[in-house]
Amino acid sequence: MLASTGVSGTLGRAFLLVGFIGAIFGAFAAFTGARRNDQQVIRLIPRFAVLTFAASMGAFAAMEYAMITRDFSLAYVQKVGSWSTPALYNFAAVWSALEGSILMWVLVLAGYTLAVAYWVRKRMHDLIASWAMGVMFVVSAFFFLVSFFPANPFAAGAPGVLDGPGPNPLLQNHILVMFHPPILYLGYVGVTVPFAFAIAALITGRVDEGWLVATRRWSLFSWGFLTFGIALGSWWSYEVLGWSGVWAWDPVENASLLPWITGTAYIHSVLVQERRGMLRVWNISLLVATFSLTILGTFLTRSGVLNSVHAFSESGIGSWFLGLFAVVLVVSIGLIGWRGDRLRSPGVIDSPLSREAAFLANNVLFAVFAFVVLLGTVFPLIVEALQNRQIAVGAPFFDRLSTPIGLALLTLMAIAPVLPWRKATTETLRDRLFWPAWCGLGALILSLALGAYGLAPLLTFALGGVSAGAALRQVFLATRRQGWRGLVGRANGGMIVHLGVILIAVALGASNSFSKSQELSLVQNVEAQFAGHTFELRDVIEVRDDRSISVKALVLVDGRKIYAPAITKFTRIGMNVGTPSVRTSLTTDIYLTLEPPVRQDANEARIKVFIKPMITWLWIGTALMAVGTALAAFPGRRRKPTEPTSAPVEVGRS
Amino acid sequence: MKTRRSVWLAMFLLAGVLLVFGANRGGGPKTQQERIDSLTSNLACPTCSGESVFESRAVAAEAIRSEVARQVAAGLRTDEEILGFIEQRFGGQVLLVPRADGLDSLVWALPVAVAVFSLFMLFSAFAKWRDNRPSAPSNDDELIVARALDERES
Repeated sequence: MLASTGVSGTLGRAFLLVGFIGAIFGAFAAFTGARRNDQQVIRLIPRFAVLTFAASMGAFAAMEYAMITRDFSLAYVQKVGSWSTPALYNFAAVWSALEGSILMWVLVLAGYTLAVAYWVRKRMHDLIASWAMGVMFVVSAFFFLVSFFPANPFAAGAPGVLDGPGPNPLLQNHILVMFHPPILYLGYVGVTVPFAFAIAALITGRVDEGWLVATRRWSLFSWGFLTFGIALGSWWSYEVLGWSGVWAWDPVENASLLPWITGTAYIHSVLVQERRGMLRVWNISLLVATFSLTILGTFLTRSGVLNSVHAFSESGIGSWFLGLFAVVLVVSIGLIGWRGDRLRSPGVIDSPLSREAAFLANNVLFAVFAFVVLLGTVFPLIVEALQNRQIAVGAPFFDRLSTPIGLALLTLMAIAPVLPWRKATTETLRDRLFWPAWCGLGALILSLALGAYGLAPLLTFALGGVSAGAALRQVFLATRRQGWRGLVGRANGGMIVHLGVILIAVALGASNSFSKSQELSLVQNVEAQFAGHTFELRDVIEVRDDRSISVKALVLVDGRKIYAPAITKFTRIGMNVGTPSVRTSLTTDIYLTLEPPVRQDANEARIKVFIKPMITWLWIGTALMAVGTALAAFPGRRRKPTEPTSAPVEVGRS
Repeated sequence: MKTRRSVWLAMFLLAGVLLVFGANRGGGPKTQQERIDSLTSNLACPTCSGESVFESRAVAAEAIRSEVARQVAAGLRTDEEILGFIEQRFGGQVLLVPRADGLDSLVWALPVAVAVFSLFMLFSAFAKWRDNRPSAPSNDDELIVARALDERES
């Protein structure tokens, strides 16, 4: 078998094997070292981390080399490689199908393992670090094994193949394929780190807040990348797919959203534990849920039981992932049960009108949200299993249920930031929410003046206004008190993230509710009008290269600039791909697509026009979330443990 | 404080009135294309499960889209009737939104049940915590404090 592949195939598989063995030995060293508290064995751990990372780099490089040299002895290169793919997309072709994306998972996971080993290098004698490293190694070993057996990217292909189709045309159409998958994986795989520390804390029985504080930045880091990766995916969808939307509730999108939801719940509720020592079981459960949802999501979307745009071909990895999912759940629940007595929380929540209570409510909402997304994603499977009949659960279902959840979250975002810890009075609330409420009223009046209608979008704008006011109030007070330091730290950085979320919520509300669309049959040099804009077809041209034929309609919009929506036929695959052309501005996007059938020699073209308000604010909001996450990770002013946790009681006010 | 309370009251009233007004005003007539878009968003593309007819560029989706467009252009049927017609013609799996009967209704009922249940749990947790608030110090507690104070003084 090995003999029939080229040098990169043999090397790649050898690297995977070395990586697997390194991970097994690493896990062994970590676990025995930690169990016997044997410092000599523990000191070996970082070497195994280096070894597994080097092996994963080697395997990935071998795959890239095979792809770049078009080594068609490999089945994978036959599937996604082609001489006609441009270099950049050819580089990205490595992760354009199942086997390669698992290989990337291996690389990212081994990278995280090494990074954690470096991070704890001076504290390796601390048993919690050794146990966590052991968990990282076990998960790594699993992925090396998956890549070695069921999802082998280095399998030999049919002999005599000299060229291939190249990656899916949709994946060689936009530069974002270079960034969206790696960044998403940095988030998706990164949740393994806090999970590993949670398991280590359970094993050592040190379930106090120390390990949480220590891994806070890792959680934040992977959450930030998950957020950013999801947003990049939305952007790609908008720029490439031609239906003018950013989110389709497709199973793979849901698979990335689920850990994001539980992860978001975690980074909120963990604050309660840090501050008050409460919710220990809940926080560990959230970490376990987040990690196991990444595994479950991979099972659902990569095993062929569910289909989606992202789904690669069916493969045998399903049972592997289902097995890992089961093991993770059984082990975690077993450990939580075993440590139940130590996990009992010392504190109580004093009042429903307190910050910790608001965090709890936030968690309940996120849990319901995760349940809705999971239910909608697997419901077709349930129906098929019980009644042997096929149904589909699509965007309308998710939209209808996520709207009230989103509005409830916005309401909470408006109130929670002004709540003190422990206990607030309605007077405090009335006092602190005064200006935020004005912001909300202002937003409502403004959106009505701009012509908005409908209860859900108006509530979104109004609540968005209050939440933005509450977030700005916190930032304002913090910067007035501490200067630039008022922008960093989790509370203040978190408020910047909130502002980004609010922008996204408002942009989604506006673009989902107030989009206009029309199909125009344009005749050359005759102006057509829609929604106050003019469209004039200037020409229909054809562009050929060695992989595709594009027909472009040159459309003059508002007499100013020419936009060129196109339909590209990828000749080798025989697939037509539409490419939209978008005029972007801060207020409104004009989104043009060319509708089939097209004829290059015709002097007419059918153009579909979408007028979509506020889309740009989705990307601005995302950028703000990224900035806020970075600020939150930055160490803020440390509160001395002796300082009171909440504001002094105000006396003499009524 | 009195004035601030009345400002709040006025603000709530005004917001309520504005919301009612805004919720009831329409956004003008839909274009034919918008009607087609919203109808096709509720239909599943038969060959590419996971996408709606509105999103998909597949041939089968194109066929359904043009059928919907024909029906809308004819202007004889309501949205419901068009969806029913498409469902009849292309088979039962074409609807993207589960119906609210039989087993399928669970997909609507379960989230509501879970939401109600978790809210109930949340409030009962608050209630429990409020009851559990540490009561007055016991005699033993007083004794410990007294002993500690004695030690400090001596």
